[in-house]
Parts: sequence; structure tokens; C-alpha cells
Amino acid sequence: MKAFQYATAHSADSARELVAGKGAYLAGGNDLLGLLKEYLISADLLVNIKSLPGLNKIEHGRKFWTIGSLVTVAQIEDDADIKKTFPGLHEAAAEVASQQIRNVATVGGNLAQHSRCWYFRHRDTVCLKKDGDLCYARNGENRYHSLFTGNTCISPVVSSLATIFASLEATAIVLRDGKETRMSMAELYQRAWENPLAHNSLSNGDLILRVEIPTARTRSAYLQASDKHAFDWALVSCAAAAEIVDGKLKSPRVALGSISPVPHQVEAANQFLDGKVLDEATATQAADLILKDAKPLEHNAYKVPLAHALIRRTLLKLKGEA
Amino acid sequence: MSNWPAETKYIGQNTPRIDGAVKVTGKARYSSDIQAAGWLYGMILRSKWPAAKITSVNLDKARQIPGIKAAVRARDGAFTVRFYGEEIAAVAGTSKQACLDALRAIEVQAEVRHEFVVNETEARKENSAQVWEGSANAPANPRPRENGNVDTAFPECAAVIEGFYSTPVQIHNPMETMGNTVSWTDDGLTAWSSTQGISSVRDGLAGALKLDHSKVRVVTEYMGGGFGAKFGAGVEGMLAAKLSKEANAPVRLMLTRFDQALAVGNRPSSFQKIKIGATADGRLHAFEAENYGTAGIGAGGDSGGGGGGADIPMPYIYQVPNTRVKQSAVAVNAGAARAFRAPGHPPASYGMESAMDDLAAKLGIDPLEFRLKNDPHPIRQREYKLGAEKFGWNQKYQKPGSSPGVVKTGIGCAGAAWPAGGGSRDTHGDAQINPDGSIEFRFGVQDIGTGTRTVIAVVAAELLGLKPEQITVRVGDTNFPPGPGSGGSTTCASVSPAVYDICQKALQQLQTQSGLADARGENWFAACKKLGVNPLVVHGQWQQGLSADHACGVQFAAVEVDTETGLVTVKKVLAVHDCGLIIDKLTLESQINGGVIMGMGYALYEERVMDDLSGVVLNPNFETYKLPGLADVPDIEVVLINMPERGVIGIGEPATVPTAGAIANAVFNAIGVRVGSLPITPAKILAALGKVPPAVAA
Amino acid sequence: MKKMEPENRGAFSRRTFFKSLGTVAATAATAQVTSVAAELEKVNAEKIIGPAAVPVTLKVNGEKLKLMLEPRVTLLDALRNYSSLTGAKEGCDRATCGACTVLLGDTPIYSCQKLAIEAQGVEITTVEGLAKNEKLSKVQQAFLTKDALQCGYCTPGFVMSVTALLKKNPRPNAADVKHACAGNTCRCGTHPRILAAALQAAGIETASKTEVIDYV
Repeated sequence: MKAFQYATAHSADSARELVAGKGAYLAGGNDLLGLLKEYLISADLLVNIKSLPGLNKIEHGRKFWTIGSLVTVAQIEDDADIKKTFPGLHEAAAEVASQQIRNVATVGGNLAQHSRCWYFRHRDTVCLKKDGDLCYARNGENRYHSLFTGNTCISPVVSSLATIFASLEATAIVLRDGKETRMSMAELYQRAWENPLAHNSLSNGDLILRVEIPTARTRSAYLQASDKHAFDWALVSCAAAAEIVDGKLKSPRVALGSISPVPHQVEAANQFLDGKVLDEATATQAADLILKDAKPLEHNAYKVPLAHALIRRTLLKLKGEA
Repeated sequence: MSNWPAETKYIGQNTPRIDGAVKVTGKARYSSDIQAAGWLYGMILRSKWPAAKITSVNLDKARQIPGIKAAVRARDGAFTVRFYGEEIAAVAGTSKQACLDALRAIEVQAEVRHEFVVNETEARKENSAQVWEGSANAPANPRPRENGNVDTAFPECAAVIEGFYSTPVQIHNPMETMGNTVSWTDDGLTAWSSTQGISSVRDGLAGALKLDHSKVRVVTEYMGGGFGAKFGAGVEGMLAAKLSKEANAPVRLMLTRFDQALAVGNRPSSFQKIKIGATADGRLHAFEAENYGTAGIGAGGDSGGGGGGADIPMPYIYQVPNTRVKQSAVAVNAGAARAFRAPGHPPASYGMESAMDDLAAKLGIDPLEFRLKNDPHPIRQREYKLGAEKFGWNQKYQKPGSSPGVVKTGIGCAGAAWPAGGGSRDTHGDAQINPDGSIEFRFGVQDIGTGTRTVIAVVAAELLGLKPEQITVRVGDTNFPPGPGSGGSTTCASVSPAVYDICQKALQQLQTQSGLADARGENWFAACKKLGVNPLVVHGQWQQGLSADHACGVQFAAVEVDTETGLVTVKKVLAVHDCGLIIDKLTLESQINGGVIMGMGYALYEERVMDDLSGVVLNPNFETYKLPGLADVPDIEVVLINMPERGVIGIGEPATVPTAGAIANAVFNAIGVRVGSLPITPAKILAALGKVPPAVAA
Repeated sequence: MKKMEPENRGAFSRRTFFKSLGTVAATAATAQVTSVAAELEKVNAEKIIGPAAVPVTLKVNGEKLKLMLEPRVTLLDALRNYSSLTGAKEGCDRATCGACTVLLGDTPIYSCQKLAIEAQGVEITTVEGLAKNEKLSKVQQAFLTKDALQCGYCTPGFVMSVTALLKKNPRPNAADVKHACAGNTCRCGTHPRILAAALQAAGIETASKTEVIDYV
């Protein structure tokens, strides 16, 4: 870790001013310090934003709830109202890393975290994501990589909150150039789909302020599969949310993590599910649609059947929580 | 001929470790906690190339970093590095931060060699890049070791299977990394080492630095695990010494977790092609195997290839009348192997026990019955029978793949043999008995977490009629009488007889000096008081007849396999082990738990992953080098076969040997197909089940 | 609590401490010592400090630790390398092994992935702070009784994780313990004992499943 300066910001505007140039926002610090320790990024100034007012609250509205970007993952996990209203969000939060990390990790940091591709994270490989001219993973060790991508980099998004937020059709409110910008989860990661250098669509100085979650989908569920039983990254994660009206799905959304640079969503599948009664056959057909265009590589093809199983299970879990 | 007492108060009971309180309060000073007066932080610069000629290392700019007090090269002149992470230089300064900055200021010029190989299968090919120039990475035709006549024996078999079983390179990853604090002055050198062998570190430092042994002292009060990788001072120890000399200050140089994955040892991989056959009555008749594996640059080398640290015992614990075994160690551009908990045995057990179950399935017989027919060892015979009953093998066993549903259950078993485990005759110790009755034992051994201090206290308390907490034990200092390195599961069997000897002599002398007929127990303090002003110092050493080697052990595993996600959940492991005379049941059971869990990591999670293109280790951290955690660990039941007549036997190694084989067989039993390579990941389970589609061309 | 450290190790005298505060020193010096940290925080707010060492005050185990640290120094490094509190261990320095776990308030965190400068103004508890008057805490005693340690290097971290869990949930079940300790790694394989110790500290006794059978 190189030497840096440090400042504590007390307003979003001053935070933005401080961070301009070669600064970085410091919230939970899990991702940032990890990147700095491996010299993967450099920052001359760390701007502690943890005392920014108003961003550490969970607010309940009738049409949507607002979660401040400084709310910790542990806060979400422990919040009884969230567990009741958005069970999938509770489940996703509980699967994030470990207790020690959840205690400091923030919603904003979880969404903005960088790739976990082991070539990107390696201090001595200069891959596409680090402005090199080669994706080592594509013909190398790609067991944890994407089934879908819009560019030559195959590192997937790993934020489990992004997966569940996508299924809940949540919106991130981002402070950009002094103005609040609203971004869907798809928009929040779109740039990573297109540009190998990008981890998300945020530019330097952009600050996630909060996330708004519509309350319309009263059912939600999240599942992830990993090599281990705890404290392990998802090989695939899956979230689903919907209303169930007269036994039929209304406005269903399915999203997957760790298989694409963006939360993987297939509109055709959502449309297919809309109005359907959930059963094994419906879930299977939806899974087929969602994975139809997967482009498995040498070592990650197992993610196709794995994702298929998770989609089916997550969807059926929606039904189970009637 | 000495004998252990038949009736015991502490031996064989549960004694909490006597140094437990300092460990749970954070008071125990591990080697990495040492803060010698004026100490400096040390760090190592490592090669970022898997192969290169280092032509110059300029330390000038590093020395100019504020706080930097010393900078040294790993080797003088131009030199060749042969693996990613090989040491190039080191710095010492007043803070970690200064060192980090200094490492980045070192200017290294190198002629990078693009010809390197990190994959053992590639390295065997004729046109492979050579790790050691001018010599093959592996012998073209390893010499076979043969018994009987395999060629005529196979046609005589009723059933023959051919299998390919592979195990990855496993990294020791003790929680405390390798390293030392070294203080080298004109008076001599003191090293606070994180080591399993204070004597071997002393000898290594003295030899390399051309110092009298008497000028080198090694201290290891507490250390955070070793598992076979921490016997020498290592390059890092030498560099710390050079830095200390240059800076004229103590230097603490502990490796980073990243360093740990590259350069300080590992368990070699194995690629076992096994053909095995049995007669119609289920007797093993023929066995043929070819195995290769890599010990990194430790294989091949200047000797021009040839067998090395990658060999494994085959056909392991089974007697087969006709065998042919060929083995070779393959050099690759990676850090060299080191001894790792039961070297050679876990891969041998996994390969052979897998082949046994595959053959049993072909013969259509119960794999436990198959073992009882072919495992000649009477102790394992008994262990299998006892274990089967406790485990409920007969009730639980179903044919491979016959478990219904999506989440399938399966059971498996496997056996171990460990030839060492006995005591080292070179073990010495002292006890000082003070007139106030206090007693202090001093042994030049070290406690690697197995409870050596507690073992000494338990034995002494038993023989002197005192309580373990009344015994002070000092270990981990080369100023104490010499003892063995903690390897081969020998420490307990080494120190216990020496404590016995000391206690016998102490009692005799106390009786003589005090005139009391029996100085033990309630007479102890009265007897000691009669010593007057001078403490009694008694020297003792290991005695014949109180310890033994060769332990067995069998384990049974029950697993659940989710056939849609590939996740394996180990539900239960029953570990049945013989360990001679049990000294402390509590610490013994801990070691067995530890062996099982490490074996489980080997079975399901652990694997060093290297990148063919860049030659780097891709998972030099705990994020992607995965270790079992609390949520992964099964219910473990331990059965200790009590054999006090054999004396003390070590348990650390046999306990880890059969676990991977037992789990792998349980997985096979559950899903009906063999995953022939460790670790058994969800990806491999799904592939074995035929669920994985082909890759789409990139 | 802390002995004088060697030169350049970050410790500094009270005088240099106040001197280093510059113009604020006069204000701070007249105020209660306890308010120095708060003062500092206010002064430093929105003010860019570093990259050279700056005064940092940590409240550890009920005592003040006044250090001069570069902003990049982690809490773990501050404890282990700038003071004599070596109870928290460095196992990975990357927030993956849990050996460095300490409590910030009642919350367990990885001290290796937290800047020391950020940890000011909050009560920090390390493993050294649990035993009161030489009496082991309930959790420490249970670890000792159940032999929930081997080499002991991961032990401080596990002890802190379990301590935090019991503060939050005094009657945890096995699943709760597994969830709370998932972020702690043990290489000796002491896990079953750690589980038993955590439950024992919560008043739930689990019997050992070990059986001794005579061979002959």
C-alpha cells in the first residue's frame, strides 16, 4: 500500500470535491484496501465518507423503501423488517462474506466492488482489465468466470446485493457532477458489459447515495452456490422476485450473479413467467430461456447446469413462501 | 526394562493444556510477536518472473527510503531464478510501510526467459521447456519396481479396473507464516524462529553463516503451526540474519501470506495411473501403476531428473503378489516441495483406496469386506470391524449410485499406515527441583500445537505424584538439552520416555538425599525441603521400551452430494486410530480432529492453481486457496484403540492419511461415478454426472 | 499499559504529541485529555492530513494508545508493530482469515482491513482486554476447558468472534456459531472443539464423542 493522504468528509459535496483528481472514497474499506495493498489502483487521498449525514438509514415508504449507501450489510441482515418485506435481500446479505466483513461492508461498497477475477487481483499479471492486451482467463483458468459478456473480458460481477436488487427492480441514486442520477442495476453495470476496463458504470467521483426498492414485489428469494458452505464467493447466485396474485406470478424478475459482467437478466424469461402458475415445468422453461445464449468456456461450463438448478430452486422458493 | 504405570491418575485422562491460558488471553508470544529492543521490520522482494536471469539488483534507491536501515541481495552477482516468487533481495526498516516502499524502489534488471513450464503434464513432454537447462524435467523411462509377474497375473484375474487418480499440489499454509526475528551481533546470533526444529534451524544458520553452533541460539516459545514446512531457517532466515548484521539491529522478517504460497514448500501433486485386478474370491492379484508428480524445482534439478520427493508408497497398505510400479518426479518452474504431514501417504491412500472401491464395485462386493480380505494388518482388521459396527456400515451401505433423489447419500472408508511415530533416542531433558518443591523441566524441543508442554507435565505429574499445573515446563530454546524436530509424529514418543527417565532419577536422588522411602505425592515437598539450599538438577534422556512406532488407523465417512449444485457435504467422519499409550486424551483427540479436517480440505477444497501462460500462482491467498471452515466441518467421532503395552506412539500424521480416500469413496458411493481428481469440487461432480455441456469456442 | 517503544516505532511523548497538533495544541492542552481525540477529529474533519505520520489516539481495552502513524497504517499494524499488543495476529493481511479480529464497540471486525486512523473514538477490545483481574472470560475459559486450540495462532480471533456473538445472541445454536465464525480460519483443524467451546460458553454442554476401546 502506497502512502496516501486522508480526510473525513462531512457532506456529499465536500466528499466529491475532495475526491476529485486521484482520490478514492473510503467507506467499509474491504475492497479499497484490498486493491491498494496489491497496488492494483493508486489513490493519493482517501476520503472517509462514513460520517456523511443521512446515508446510514433504512427508510420504509409505501411504494418503495430507501436504503442508504452507508447502511452495512450486517444491518440489512439483522433488520427484521427487511427479512419480512424483502426476504431475498435478507438471504443475500446473510451470504455476503463473513461476519467481520458484513459488519463494515456498506451497500455502496458492495455494489461498487471491483472484479474478483484472479488475474485482475494478481499483482503481477497485466490483464485486459488492467489495460493489458490479453485476457489470461479466456484460455487459462476460467472456472470462476462469465458465461456471458459483451466484450473480451470475462470477469463477472460478484455483488450479491446487485443480484437481488436487480430482481427487485431497485434503483441506485448516484451523485454525479453534483446532480442525482438514477440508475437501474442494469445501467449501474452496463459499462462493464461493454468495456473491459470497467467494473461498473461509475466514473471517478460518482458516489452511490442510496438504493430505492419498490415494494410491489412481495415475494423474493436468493440462493447462491459455492465450493464451500460459508465465506466463499458464489459460483453462481440467483435472485427472483414477484408478486403472486391468484396463484399466478405478477411482474416476475430473475437475475443471476457471477456469470456475466452485469446482473444477468433475460426479459423474455420474465415475460414468459408473467401470469404463470409456478411449477417445476415453468421454472425449467424459464431457466432454459435465461441460459439459452450462454457461451461456456473450458472450465466454467459447469455453471450452466448449476445456474439452471439455482433458477429453478429460487423460483420455487418464491412459491414456498406463500 | 522400564514400564509405564498400570494405574494412572493423569496419563490417559483429559488434561487441559497447561499453556492454554496464555494462548486464549493473547499473552503467548509467538515468533511473529517478538519485539526485541530496537527491532526492525523486514520484507523480501521476489521474482515476478517464473524464469529469468537476474543481471543486476540495485538497492541504492531502496536504501534512501526514510526508515530503511538495511538492504541485501538474496545472492551475489548475476543469478538465475526458476520460479515465480524466488527471492531476489530483502530490506529492513523501522516500519512495514518503509519496507513496502523500499521493495518498490529496488531496481532489478533481468533477462526474462520465456521458456518455462508450470504444468507437470506439459513438463513431461519431450519438447517442453526445461526447468534446469540441459536436463530433462523427468526421466523418460523411470525404472520399474517389480514383484512377481504382473504380465501373467492380470489375465488370471476375474476383474480388472484401470483408473486415473490425481491429487493437486497442497500448500501447508500454517496460520503463522514462516519467519524469524534475528539479532546478529559480534556476540553471536539469536533467532526467534517460527519453526518445528530449533536444532535444525540452529545448525542451518550456523552452517550457512559460518558461525560456531555455540554462537547461535534459536528460541521458539510459541509458534503457529508448521505441518512439515518449518524445519529450516530458510532463505528468509538467512536474509533476516544478513539484514540484522547490516543494520546492527534485530530484524523481524515474517513472510506474507502471498509469499507463503510461493516459496516455502508444498505437498507434491500425484497423477496415478492404476491398473488393479483381483481373483474371483476377491483377493488382490495384480497391481500396476505409473505415478508422476511435481515437487517444483525440487524435482529434477542438478541431479538431472530422477525420482524425488514426489514418490508415494504403492500399492500402499495392501499386499499384492504381483506388482509393477513406475514413478517419476517432474520438475516445473514452481517452489520446491517440503515434507507435509505424512509425506506421500495421503495421495497414496486416496489413489489406492479409490482403486479398491472401483474394483470392489466391479466385483460386486462390499468395499469393507474387500478390504478385510486384502488388508493383512491385524490392527486395521480390528479397527475396521470396530469402526464398522459403531458407524453402522452394514445398515447404511448401499450399492454405488443407488441413493435416490437429488441429494444423494453415500459412505466410504479408507485405511492408513504410518511407519514413524516412535521416539527419537537423541532426546534429552533436564529438570530442576527446587527446595520449595517447585519443579521445572527444560527440553530443547518445541510445541507446534500438539501440546508438548502438557504432555511433559502430565507424565511428570503422574510419576511424581503431583498435579500437572504444579509442573513448570520450558521448551523451545537451544540452550536447553537437545531434542528432536517435531516431525514424523515423534515428539510425544520422544519426550515422554525422557520425562520418565528424569522422574525416576529424580525420585531416586530425592530418596537418597532426604532419607524418605518414597518422595512422591504427599511426601514431595518434605523431600524437596531436605535438599537444603541447592536445587537438584537431573538430566535424563529417551529410554528404550516406553514408545513404539508404526501406527495404523481407518476412517469412515458419510456424505451428501447435491447432484444439481455439485456441493458435497461431509456429514460425519468416524476416525478409528491406535496410538499406543494415550498420554492426554484431550490433546490427542484434537490432533485427530485436525488430521481429519486437513484431509477433508485435501479432498474437497485445497489446490494450488498455477497459470500456464504467466507462470504465476493464481491463488496465493485464503480467498481462492480454500480451507475448510467451521460450516464445512462434519460431526467427527473418534475411537482410540488403547494399546498401553506398546508405549507412546505419535498420532499427528496417521490421522490425516485416510480422510480424503474415505470421503472420495463416499462420494463415489453416493453418485455411482468416480471423481478421479482432488479436490472434488462442484464443477467436477457435475462433470462426472455428465451434466456439463461442451465449451463454446472462444 | 504500553511500555516505551524504541525510537521511530510510533510512540511519542506527551510533549511531542501536543506539539504535533500545531496550532490546535493550545486548545487541546487545556482541555481534558479525554477530549483530545474528539478535538482532533473535529480539526481533521475536511482537512487533508498525511501522508506523513499524524497523531492517532486509539482507545484499546479501556486505555489510551497515542501513536504517530501514517494514514495508511492499519489498525492491526498499529497494535502489533506500534504497540506491544500482539494478541491480534496477522494471518493474511487481506480480511480472509480472522486471526486479527478485534471488537470495535461490540462489533467484530478484521483489524487488518481497517485503517487505524478510522478506528479513533471507538472503544477497541483486543483479546488482551477480555480477562479481568487475571480471571479468564467465560469464552476464554470454555476454549481452555474444551481444548479449542492447538497451535493457538487463530485462537484470539475465534475468541473475539465468539465473544461478539454471545453479546449479540446469548443463546446461540450450532448454526449461529458456524455463521458467526465463518470468517475465522484454523489450520490445525480445531473446529469441532471451537463449536463445543462456544456452546459451552453459552451454557450448552455437548458431550465428547471420543471412545477409548482396549485392543486386547
